[in-house]
Amino acid sequence: MSEARRVNTGTHFMMGNQACAEGVIAAGCGFAAGYPITPASEVFNALAKQLPKAGGTLLQTEDEISAVCTAVGASWAGLKSFTVTSGPGISLMQENIGLAVATETPLVIVDVQRLGPSTGVPSIGMAGDMVQVARGSHGDYQIIALCPESPQEMFDMTVQAFNLAEEYRVPVFVMAEGFVGHMRERVVIPDESEIRLVYRKITQGGEPLTRRDFLDPEVASMPVFGRGLKTHVTSSCHDEYGMRNLSDPDVMHRYIMTPIQKILSKRDRIVEIEADYEGAKLVLISYGVVSRASRQAAAMARAEGLKVGTLRLKTAWPFPDKEVRAAAESADFILVLENNTGQMYPYIKAESAHACKVGFLGPQVLGQIHDPQYILAKIREIMK
Amino acid sequence: MSEKTHPLRKYMRPQVKKTTFCPGCGAGIITQALLRAIDELGLTMDDFVFVSGIGCSAWIPSPLLNADTLHTTHGRPIAYASGVKMGLPDKHVVVVSGDGDLSAIGGNHLIHAARRNIDMTVILVNNGIYGMTGGQTAPTTPYGLTTITSPYGNAEQEFDISALVVAAGGSYVARWTTYHPRQMTKSIKKAIQKKGFAMIEAITQCPMQFGRVSKQGSAVNMLKNYKQNGIRIEKAAKMDPSELQGKIVEGVFVDCDKPELISSVAALQRRTGGKE
Amino acid sequence: MQKVILFPQSCKGMEDCGICAFVCPRSLFVASEEMNESGYLPPLPPDEEKCTACGNCMIYCPDFAIAVEGGAVDGSEE
Ligand SMILES: Cc1ncc(C[n+]2csc(CCOP(=O)(O)OP(=O)(O)O)c2C)c(N)n1
Ligand code: SF4
Ligand code: SF4
Ligand code: SF4
Ligand SMILES: [Mg+2]
Repeated sequence: MSEARRVNTGTHFMMGNQACAEGVIAAGCGFAAGYPITPASEVFNALAKQLPKAGGTLLQTEDEISAVCTAVGASWAGLKSFTVTSGPGISLMQENIGLAVATETPLVIVDVQRLGPSTGVPSIGMAGDMVQVARGSHGDYQIIALCPESPQEMFDMTVQAFNLAEEYRVPVFVMAEGFVGHMRERVVIPDESEIRLVYRKITQGGEPLTRRDFLDPEVASMPVFGRGLKTHVTSSCHDEYGMRNLSDPDVMHRYIMTPIQKILSKRDRIVEIEADYEGAKLVLISYGVVSRASRQAAAMARAEGLKVGTLRLKTAWPFPDKEVRAAAESADFILVLENNTGQMYPYIKAESAHACKVGFLGPQVLGQIHDPQYILAKIREIMK
Repeated sequence: MSEKTHPLRKYMRPQVKKTTFCPGCGAGIITQALLRAIDELGLTMDDFVFVSGIGCSAWIPSPLLNADTLHTTHGRPIAYASGVKMGLPDKHVVVVSGDGDLSAIGGNHLIHAARRNIDMTVILVNNGIYGMTGGQTAPTTPYGLTTITSPYGNAEQEFDISALVVAAGGSYVARWTTYHPRQMTKSIKKAIQKKGFAMIEAITQCPMQFGRVSKQGSAVNMLKNYKQNGIRIEKAAKMDPSELQGKIVEGVFVDCDKPELISSVAALQRRTGGKE
Repeated sequence: MQKVILFPQSCKGMEDCGICAFVCPRSLFVASEEMNESGYLPPLPPDEEKCTACGNCMIYCPDFAIAVEGGAVDGSEE
């Protein structure tokens, strides 16, 4: 497989969505599919220009359903595959995201989130899809989702998403908010040699009858198409050999459980957080762009002598349960800051309510980033 | 008893001993027409990737055929197949799925793949009904027919899928009933060799569901109907539309050459320096 | 030499299918009285003397239960 890759090394002043596109190309993506949607369009627009030059191909599909399906097909053809959209597109993709999970297909989906429900406000960023990417397809499953807070992280986490997808044969989401996608900031793109890339293990031969292509908690090597492996891939319940089985309860159990365990048993290697709450009585928990306001508010509070710390979830899924628990057990109060009405809040509360008080603070006006002063006022109120 | 095996067995997964179809189902005739086409072209299963959706017909390649096979969600096989083809431009990508799958829930992908003229062969298995889910009305169900979901008669007009795909831009489109498996094989060979979007609309008997609701009954009766009412496109062209009531027009609807998507994409990669 | 080879275990039964009987121009197929492993009644081997090796039974059999040696796969139904 000839690799599509071109690294735009240097220091740039760049929009988050452009940085994401640079990450796609730096990661060696071979195929991208997309359908125009605000506030995500710039990613695919940029790829349309840059990916063919880097040796990759792309397809503007007839809808987002086709975009995700096409990307899964290209992944089975052996390419690092990608699609990008916003909330309405994710809603359309859901059934086939489930297929990608069930067939253990490496795939990166960037979700530049906007205000919903329904068509909502396309140009307003909100973390509207935090739960739907993890729980929105039918059935039980685990995916990986990362939350960038800056254009720099749009680059870094896009590359990281490809690495995780390849390593664990799983769809990986980059949960940007519209704000981050459209924000312009300094972005440093390292030299090609400094960017660590991961490639899926590819099955090198053997008979399909005896080859365990699926359902390995340690991640089976991928029997990609076009190499005479006679691979059978099905969205239906299947066994380790990929053969459909709609009657054996043990197979059904493994079909659901093993892909879940594959992710959860590796969660210590996957989950990343930023913790700064030593000695704090109150810990602000946030992710994405809100973390910027959270850090600022904490600094302001500390300047007033208030013992306030922060925990940023760089990984939203698999859910950082242990990390949240540790924060809760060291503090008296957890304040969850999210740019929505509390999508991750129930998950955070479930891991902290046993140890401390837990509260939620949305932005003053939904669709606006929290004002640090507004957070500070809340901190003062709690801590007085 | 002979130790011999059926000459087309070599194309099937050794552990799959039987088709998944009801007795007399035409899906098996279409399977054979497809394998015979591959055999006659002298190709091997490693030259192919098969993609299917959900339905009885989608089980033609999955898991029977001993080749790379992607069994996908309902309606989406053409979209998946498009991605496979983008990644493996040198392989023959063949989609096999039902009329409901490809023309109802997946209709958008069908017309857009035809419009793009992506090099792909689609075998659209048209039994005029939703077979797998138990005999509900499909977009291909004849007007007036009583089904599970049109118990007072189907009030809708039926799709002419071949005409649709011709209009959308397909490079090769042919329709044959299972009463004409040899012609079907010939057309599948043409379709596989065609550089562009090719579709075979295979009209087929579903004795279990369509046979029941239409009261045509058995597989044999349904084949008799195809024999009596099948009419070649050349002959049909000279007839008055009123004379074509209840007839099944068969033959090659289009066979042309025009720019194909994968080669156009490769050309633009060369132009931009992405590929030598 | 035997022209028509049956694989009776693959057959889904003359009762419900019976396509071979319908397409054989010599009407050479009748059902066996013995069930196969799946409980279907496959056809009895056709009379080789009368068989023209036209290939119809093979090409129309939906379950790959019949092979015809030197079967005229290029023949015509009409
Ligand atoms: C999204 C979705 N909706 C509905 C179904 C249920 N379903 C399974 S097969 C089928 C119809 C298949 O009809 P067709 O494509 O004509 O195939 P046939 O069984 O007739 O060969 C339906 C509606 C599904 N699997 N997925
Ligand atoms: S229900 Fe109809 S289409 Fe499905 S296998 Fe049975 S006869 Fe064939
Ligand atoms: S080859 Fe022709 S004549 Fe001979 S048994 Fe088969 S259908 Fe009849
Ligand atoms: S056509 Fe084939 S499956 Fe049908 S009855 Fe004859 S031998 Fe059996
Ligand atoms: Mg159907």
